[in-house]
Amino acid sequence: MSMFSVKPMKPTFKCYLPPVQTDVKKAIEPIKKLEPKLLLGEIVVNEVNFVRKCISTDSSQDDLWGKLICTNFKVSFIPQDAPAKQRSQLSHFLLGEHDIPLTCLDQVVTVNDTKGKRKVLGSNQKLKFNPTELILYCKDLRIIRFCFGEAGPESAKKVCLAIAHYSHPADLHLLFGFEYQGRRYHEYKAKRVNGSTPRGGLQTPIFDRPSDWDREIKRTGASEWRVCSVNEGYAISPSLPEYIVVPASLADQDLKQYSSFFPDNRIPLWCWNHPSGSALIRMASITDPLHQRKIDQRVFTAITKSHPHRSEVIRLDLDKCLPNIQDIQSAFFKIRQICVMDPFEESEERWLSSIENSRWLEYVRAFLKHSAEVVYHLDGKNTSVVLAEEEDRDLNCIVSSLVQLMLDPHYRSLIGFQSLVQKEWVMAGHRFLDRCNHLKKSDKEESPLFTLFLDCVWQMMNQYPAAFEFTEAYLTVLTDSMWIPLFSTFLFNSPKQRNQHLADFAKNKAIPQGEEQSVYFPPVWDWSQQFSFKDQTLFNNPMYVGKGAACVQNGEVKTFRRTKKTYSSTLRGAPASMRNGLKSGEETLPRRGSLVSELKPDFSPVKDVVESPSERFFRDWFSRPIDQQGLLIPLLTPSHMALWKLFFLRWVPEACIPKGGSITAYHKLCQLVDEIEILQIQLRQYKGPSPGSTPLPSPSESRSDQRRMYFKASFPDDPSTPPDFLTSSFPFTPVGNLCRRNVHGTPISKFLNGAKIWLSTETLANDTV
Amino acid sequence: MEFIRLPKVENVKLLDRVSPRRSRVGTLYLTATHTIFVENEAGVRNETWVLHSLVCSLEKQAATSSGYPLLIHCKNFQVLHFAIPREQECQDVHLSLQRLSQPESYEELYCFSYKPNVDDEERQNEWDFMNLKADYSRMGLPNAHWKLSPANRNYKVSDTYPADLFVPESATPPVIVGSSKFRSRGRFPTLSYYSKENHAAICRSSQPLSGFSARCLEDEQMLEAILRSNPCSDFMYVVDTRPKLNAIANRAAGKGYENEDNYSNIKFQFIGIENIHVMRNSQQKMLEVCELRSPSMSDFLEGLESSGWLKHIKAVLDAGIFITKAVAEEGVSVLVHCSDGWDRTAQVCSVACVLLDPYYRTLQGLMVLIEKDWISFGHKFSHRCNHLVGDPKEVSPVIDQFLECVWQLMEQFPCAFEFNERFLITIHSHIYSCQYGNFIGNNQRERIQVHQRTHSLWSYLWTNRTDYINPLYRPDHSQTQGLLRPSTAPYCFKFWRGLYNRFDQGIHPRQSVEDYLRTIQEETQQLEEQLASHKQVNFKLPLIMDPDSDEAVYSARGSNDQTLPFQPSSSARINLHFFFACGVFATHTLVSKCLL
Repeated sequence: MSMFSVKPMKPTFKCYLPPVQTDVKKAIEPIKKLEPKLLLGEIVVNEVNFVRKCISTDSSQDDLWGKLICTNFKVSFIPQDAPAKQRSQLSHFLLGEHDIPLTCLDQVVTVNDTKGKRKVLGSNQKLKFNPTELILYCKDLRIIRFCFGEAGPESAKKVCLAIAHYSHPADLHLLFGFEYQGRRYHEYKAKRVNGSTPRGGLQTPIFDRPSDWDREIKRTGASEWRVCSVNEGYAISPSLPEYIVVPASLADQDLKQYSSFFPDNRIPLWCWNHPSGSALIRMASITDPLHQRKIDQRVFTAITKSHPHRSEVIRLDLDKCLPNIQDIQSAFFKIRQICVMDPFEESEERWLSSIENSRWLEYVRAFLKHSAEVVYHLDGKNTSVVLAEEEDRDLNCIVSSLVQLMLDPHYRSLIGFQSLVQKEWVMAGHRFLDRCNHLKKSDKEESPLFTLFLDCVWQMMNQYPAAFEFTEAYLTVLTDSMWIPLFSTFLFNSPKQRNQHLADFAKNKAIPQGEEQSVYFPPVWDWSQQFSFKDQTLFNNPMYVGKGAACVQNGEVKTFRRTKKTYSSTLRGAPASMRNGLKSGEETLPRRGSLVSELKPDFSPVKDVVESPSERFFRDWFSRPIDQQGLLIPLLTPSHMALWKLFFLRWVPEACIPKGGSITAYHKLCQLVDEIEILQIQLRQYKGPSPGSTPLPSPSESRSDQRRMYFKASFPDDPSTPPDFLTSSFPFTPVGNLCRRNVHGTPISKFLNGAKIWLSTETLANDTV
Repeated sequence: MEFIRLPKVENVKLLDRVSPRRSRVGTLYLTATHTIFVENEAGVRNETWVLHSLVCSLEKQAATSSGYPLLIHCKNFQVLHFAIPREQECQDVHLSLQRLSQPESYEELYCFSYKPNVDDEERQNEWDFMNLKADYSRMGLPNAHWKLSPANRNYKVSDTYPADLFVPESATPPVIVGSSKFRSRGRFPTLSYYSKENHAAICRSSQPLSGFSARCLEDEQMLEAILRSNPCSDFMYVVDTRPKLNAIANRAAGKGYENEDNYSNIKFQFIGIENIHVMRNSQQKMLEVCELRSPSMSDFLEGLESSGWLKHIKAVLDAGIFITKAVAEEGVSVLVHCSDGWDRTAQVCSVACVLLDPYYRTLQGLMVLIEKDWISFGHKFSHRCNHLVGDPKEVSPVIDQFLECVWQLMEQFPCAFEFNERFLITIHSHIYSCQYGNFIGNNQRERIQVHQRTHSLWSYLWTNRTDYINPLYRPDHSQTQGLLRPSTAPYCFKFWRGLYNRFDQGIHPRQSVEDYLRTIQEETQQLEEQLASHKQVNFKLPLIMDPDSDEAVYSARGSNDQTLPFQPSSSARINLHFFFACGVFATHTLVSKCLL
């Protein structure tokens, strides 16, 4: 009846009625053989038939019947009558539409409706009732529900127990990646021989070798810094990379000596150099105050010596002014509760204050604000900054990467961004294993710091849409990849742990010595493990203003500068033509050279209070036209902090806008860029190959997978208007991915408290008859 | 002018709202129409102009070290914080502005002194630009079911209604007059929108004078006539946009709502949109949040929520969706009313029109819609916008809410609207500025004289339409056509920074997707001009495009011997023009750079 797919006016009278029952019997026809799609090394542990997967909260009309399977990698549901695959989804190479990796499970909950029982299952547990329902709460915020009404009670129970058990691996090496990557290596070895490229063709630097650091030193012009191999073989600190960058004036011997005073022997770590010479350094805090002063002083002196102007060093203690990992975890828990767990009717009531109450946005803002202050020191004051944190493995990761993202356009390219994560998170020893809680050992250690960082990046992207090479879909897919245990990126707590496990792994799987780790156990950055080239184009931002972009004018190459027109606040809302037309009617903005030039004001230099230098720095920056390839400072007033909807609300049916959302603008921009690219190729063809050049691809070839944009330009014979499947959740879909607790009917209290739409008493009377 | 006690004050400080420690020093001038602040700074002239009619309130604060503070709050949400050196000067400026910003008669309004260099004939053409009859004929009216009624030609039946009204074919003059006597202010049920696809109509009126038991045969016949003018449907909705309690309270005053038992085949529904007083207070609370100097995340979110503003916007949009569904999906006609039928009714009918009909999402369409549902149907602009000194209880941001509903929809459907945010903001400003005659007075009857002496905003906007075009809009897209199906979950309502905080420097988003497209369009134009001055570049390209649509771009250069399988869209064409003419091979980055 309702063609509006979003929830219509509510509460309506319908809410009191039980949902329409579909003919259950009809669904259970003799089953075809339902086979799971298994990866190399994946085995089925347990399975049960006649399971119903709930698709929507409101009715069971669209529910799917099929088989529920638990493997050593995932929970898989194979529908009996598979509906046509939703085109809106990315086709994932490793996971099907109804699959959930075991590492993605947050809670496995079994329910027995008739007995009114509910139990959260852990590893090796017993279940005293036969479950009628299984609810899987996932770390990617999905909530998936299966009903066992028609399934064998014992098999249902067994599958539930198996899922619970296998999602609590006793040890790291039991994660499926160690099985899969070994098989994969040998399976594809033959194919690799002829086309073997260095590092498996991976373009993202891993920072596990001196050359990666060397390149970074050269790129940033950090001439007074050197790569040091004192930690080779993790001789000093297990949580530092083997190669680190240190002030040129410090000898290996000094570093060894200092290291013993730092927690975990973590000597200070160079992150980045400003073109002016100031450096960004991160370090752990020495706990003993006596040593602290002495060592700090020596380290700071060395840093000062590496500065071209011998400028002083500023130390910022992040754990004194930013939320800690437990604060962040609890904020995430709350915001997740509001967005996906609570029934929509409840969260709707006090949406903004609930968001406020979670404090998530406040924390996002705090990290951005703090990072902007570091930027002020590095860029505005030209001083080197030392970020200090107790262990240098959590908050420092966020702040140091945000600072570099603001200052250095290189990190806003896709490869640059990945190298930043590699450098400041993976190699700097962020405890991904503990923070992700892959082994579900200690909830206290779990904290979504990386997600918080990605949210901060999203806020920047939201404010500067042309400055990043990648899209929010990329960021979202990156968060999801944390929960797939097949990539070396998110599985370990430290570089040493990674190295040891991968070395053992190579030995156990008979992988030849000298083989690259990124070849036999690739990081997430090899996106072709998960997605086709076509789907990867969804990561490309059509608005990105890339580095070195040039414009050719009359045969001359010129750098394309966009300084004539700035759409900063001063011009917004009042283009020139309008000002003229208005004749100052609503003109209230500062103007130059106006109509009343005969009014000559007196000059008088009254100024009593001076703004602080940092205020001035930020004001100056905001009053200048923006340079996409320069410094970017986020706006930080609360009205600029937005909820990252694609991440938090992509599964929520009520938040989904069919044929709407920012994706529709993305679609249009992609088409424009694609059109231009095709026409260029055609133009080149017409001009013919220049002598000595290779033949150009024909237009038909250019339409192939090599196109850079996800959405293709439209052709006269194929008017590809925006596809109907575009929704604000694209490329994800709420369908079947969020079945939360149902509220049957509307609580009477809501009516009494003034519901939004009153039915007249007459209508109520008529309808109940 | 006699109200100006002090035409000029020197050494006045204009304090920056965001960083108050920064102030600009200059001279303040009071003129007949504007307050002007001229900054003292060697070499440059920075001026800030504020129209008196945009001044909403003035606030004197206790003296500080920098002088005597005077805050000017404007109706376009600008807040100017001056510090005036001497108390007497501050007092004089305050008193002068108080009088200047509160005109006592229409004659004093800015529109009567605003004289752009336009002769009388042109001025008349400005007004002729807007033609509501054309919109009704676009809907297919008059037809077999609906006719133009002369009943209100002289504003005799309802003095707040327009002269031209469409009524059901079967509605006789006695029915019209009888029905109007049973409705507040004589505002009988009449047509607002007609859907020619399925004959369903949106009608509007004021509340019936039903009290506890009164009936009116003609009014019942009127509704029956409306129902019968939609041959496909056997019932109609009557939507009272007020909360039920408000409607019940009105019964005691001899007003109220329709009793389903007395009208044949109606389905009655309340939709609880709050009254003008609640809306005024809500906006005031929201503005207080906007004016906080350095709010924390909690101040902002809690303040915004407790203002209730976004909930009210949602209520209006929900009501519009209800009507849209009835008309487009059920094919059922709807009669909408509130109390007088000029506030909530105008909001709901016009929101429904935007959702229903893609025409109203074009530049021209939105102007027509405001002219139809707001101006002609007697939304009391002068009272609601406080154009003249008057009863502060009559002031309410009802039209603001409509514009914001449109903006919220634009945020959900960025490619579905031909106009941009700037268009809405400009309309908003001029509703309050009194620079144009369009919004002066409270109904059509009051406005008859105004047109002869003022200018029309619509023709100004149309002349400058390039400033208001949304570059993402494509009329041929399926998103653009048909119904809009927005989400009204609270997640989907945003704070409209562009309107409420637009004067705060450093608070704006520094760029948007739309700005990029605009910039590239301007750059392309510049480049084309440069190109014209380099005539030696003369390429011949064997390109033919669709001859109907782009000879302006290509035919001068194209030779018709080869057809490419590819048709560039109009917006890409502007850019391509440049590329082709230059005859250069651009790299990927060049292209994306130039495009954006």
